[in-house]
Amino acid sequence: MSLKNALQLDRVSKSFDGFKALSDASFTARWGEVHALLGENGAGKSSLMNIAAGLYAPEAGALFIDDNPVRLTGPRDAMRQGIGMVHQHFKLVSPFTVAQNILLSMNQSALRGFYDHKLAKVSQAISQKSEELGFGIDPRTRTDRLSVAEQQRVEILKVLLAGAKILILDEPTAVLTDDESNRLLTTVKALATRGAAVILVTHKMHDVMRYADQVTIMRGGKTVATLAPQSVDLSKLVKLTVGDTDSARSVSEPHIRGAARLVITDLSSAQTTTQASNGVLRGVNLTLHSGEIYGIAGVGGNGQTELANALMGFGAPTCGDMLLDGQTQLQSLTPTERRAQGIAAIPADRYGAALAAPLSVADNYAMGQIHSGRYGSFGWLNSRKIAADTTKAIEAFDVQGVRSIHQKAALLSGGNAQKLVIAREFNHPPAIVFAHSPSRGLDVRAMGAIHARLHAARAAGAAVLLISEDLDEVLALADRIGVMSSGRIVVEFNQPADRQAIGQAMVHHV
Amino acid sequence: MIISSALVFGLLISALILVAAGVSASDLFNEFVLYTLFDGQSLRAVLFQAAPLIVLGLAGALAFRARFWNLGLEGQMIWGAIAATAVSLFEIGPPSLRLVLMFIAAIIGGLMWALVPVLLKLHLKVNEIISTLMLNYIAVNFLLFLLYGSWKDPRDSFPYSPQFKSFERLPNIFDGVNLAIPIALVIALLVLWFTRISRAGLYLRFVDSSPGVAAAVGVPVQRVILLTVLFSGALAGLAGFMVSAGQEERLTHSFYLGYGFSGILIAFLARNQPIAATVVAVLVATLFVGGRSLQVYYQIPFSMVQLIQAILVICVASSDFFIRYRIRRIQSEA
Repeated sequence: MSLKNALQLDRVSKSFDGFKALSDASFTARWGEVHALLGENGAGKSSLMNIAAGLYAPEAGALFIDDNPVRLTGPRDAMRQGIGMVHQHFKLVSPFTVAQNILLSMNQSALRGFYDHKLAKVSQAISQKSEELGFGIDPRTRTDRLSVAEQQRVEILKVLLAGAKILILDEPTAVLTDDESNRLLTTVKALATRGAAVILVTHKMHDVMRYADQVTIMRGGKTVATLAPQSVDLSKLVKLTVGDTDSARSVSEPHIRGAARLVITDLSSAQTTTQASNGVLRGVNLTLHSGEIYGIAGVGGNGQTELANALMGFGAPTCGDMLLDGQTQLQSLTPTERRAQGIAAIPADRYGAALAAPLSVADNYAMGQIHSGRYGSFGWLNSRKIAADTTKAIEAFDVQGVRSIHQKAALLSGGNAQKLVIAREFNHPPAIVFAHSPSRGLDVRAMGAIHARLHAARAAGAAVLLISEDLDEVLALADRIGVMSSGRIVVEFNQPADRQAIGQAMVHHV
Repeated sequence: MIISSALVFGLLISALILVAAGVSASDLFNEFVLYTLFDGQSLRAVLFQAAPLIVLGLAGALAFRARFWNLGLEGQMIWGAIAATAVSLFEIGPPSLRLVLMFIAAIIGGLMWALVPVLLKLHLKVNEIISTLMLNYIAVNFLLFLLYGSWKDPRDSFPYSPQFKSFERLPNIFDGVNLAIPIALVIALLVLWFTRISRAGLYLRFVDSSPGVAAAVGVPVQRVILLTVLFSGALAGLAGFMVSAGQEERLTHSFYLGYGFSGILIAFLARNQPIAATVVAVLVATLFVGGRSLQVYYQIPFSMVQLIQAILVICVASSDFFIRYRIRRIQSEA
């Protein structure tokens, strides 16, 4: 099979603040194939693809399209060259409709006529393309009414309608369920068969093995190998990705379940919310014991986010009971009081609810114990003690990439930011842990570290509630599993649980 | 570094405009640099002028750090001055304590006028840009109501209150410089303590960078905003006291002119940093003093000073781009 080169990056280097994110990375994607870019977090995948999409300018190296050297001046320019990127975090304007969002991203001057005329034209194109790909997107829907999977489809339509022939998808399955991922990747594969070049940035081995024609593996800013995934076995791929260290997958040990700590009865969203019907709570019942990990599985958008928000103390008001140790209503406690009760919270939205990105690592860490008076009284902040504690915690929790504790938290990679959150939340052994998608977007090693922390908390007698859309994670960690659907827990499983049965429950109770 | 080059650039443009308006370049240099900085009397005038500007700049910086766009410094300043004047007019307290009582009254006056918009914002989500701005008009008109009405000095028909008695004025610490300057410096230290050293400072950094995260990790966001904005209003009120008891020595109908805007401008130029605000306030004071002598000797209208301020703001605002990005020429190959 002799496929022509579509996009080629030749010995590309890029550094940020003296940190070399890419050094001599080379990558070639060909027309008609799905090419996976595999690597751990911080391996340089996103940096490399941001260069291909015209967002960053490389310091050294060259870029070729159809074997012709090009220099991209920005994302618009990349778009003109037929390169379209779907980012991990979607870039949709929320109160706008699908058609308005897509029109906004298009080269307006190419379309003639008044706004209404343009919108009608774009809507028609969207309907047509959506049907062609089996996306089922109505151009008149407001984008904030769409599920994550549907928003992603809109993003894909956006780049395709703008004329992209080289499609870059950055961690597209990170936010999807098994079913949705398979559906998406099948569509993407079909696009490649019809002649497009598709680049799939991922750290999921499974997706690579099933859907990629070629895979390039990155490690430490370098591209270490390019091969056909069918020609090697999974363990070889894992070894290439993580290097020679073995990636410890956590194993459940037998444990003793303790007393009931938190009893949730009939927890429902207050009636004032005007949200779409699937994103609310409709009578959640569950009991969380000390010394266990209770996992909540389910298809995204069935009330998990609302439940997590209610538990962690932000978000829309709820009614129903969340009784702590049979006496305190959890709703009545402020975040500070929750902390005083030994509750640790690991929210899904790291920079929206856990870390202040523009503030220093030390400032972010200090918030954990500031109320206890450990860092001085109201009038005086003991910055020396904060610095000492932060340094110690960074070491104990293996937070890497911290050159100074005064550097901004925003400069940490996803995995290390999450480790910093856990370092803060676990600085005292927690009594209760609420974790929402704690390893989303993290690589194997960081995920292993996070899981080990949750296990250790359970072993120390903590009650751990894990909400995750990643079924593998729930299966690997939880002692009991509740399946959430349409805002309630529809069925509970004890370990060892049958993966198939859980999967069925997730889908069929909708 | 980049900000200072922007300032220098802005000053150059301003100098060109002044030259175009008929001031010769050498006179300009004499007025602004030689006289103001090397002439003792002018230097005292600058310090005299700087005191209320420092306090107003700090007031602006504090509110902006709480993400509260306090455009009502002017109104709060007016209320501070009215409250202080009321203490003098109604002869509240013994003469020995009168000045202290005026000081406290001014703080309370400014604080109360800031309380209205901050409560409206926290409880009813009323946009503070509108509310603070509108409250300025109420404050100004109430001031005029008093000065054209019952508070008018009976000895003449000007819209002024009767002159403060000697023990109601800020005393001189040495010739031409009164107590206002040390008070302003103490306030600067107080703000520095509040933002850098106290626990409130840490909370304020969280509120400033991300209110959502702040609430989630346990910062008492509402209380922090309330406290900070009241602090800001109190300082603006204090500035009103400084101008009336330290400079005008009575309540006048126009004492506040130019101050409210300058406070916002100083906070902006100083990027809400307390030390920088103090320095910038002295610079703006130089501009005020230099501007007045230009007015006297060259018939340049005082609005020229505001024009220069605006030019400086625009230059610094445009320099933002250079702070965030580095420009580098890339040699094209072959």
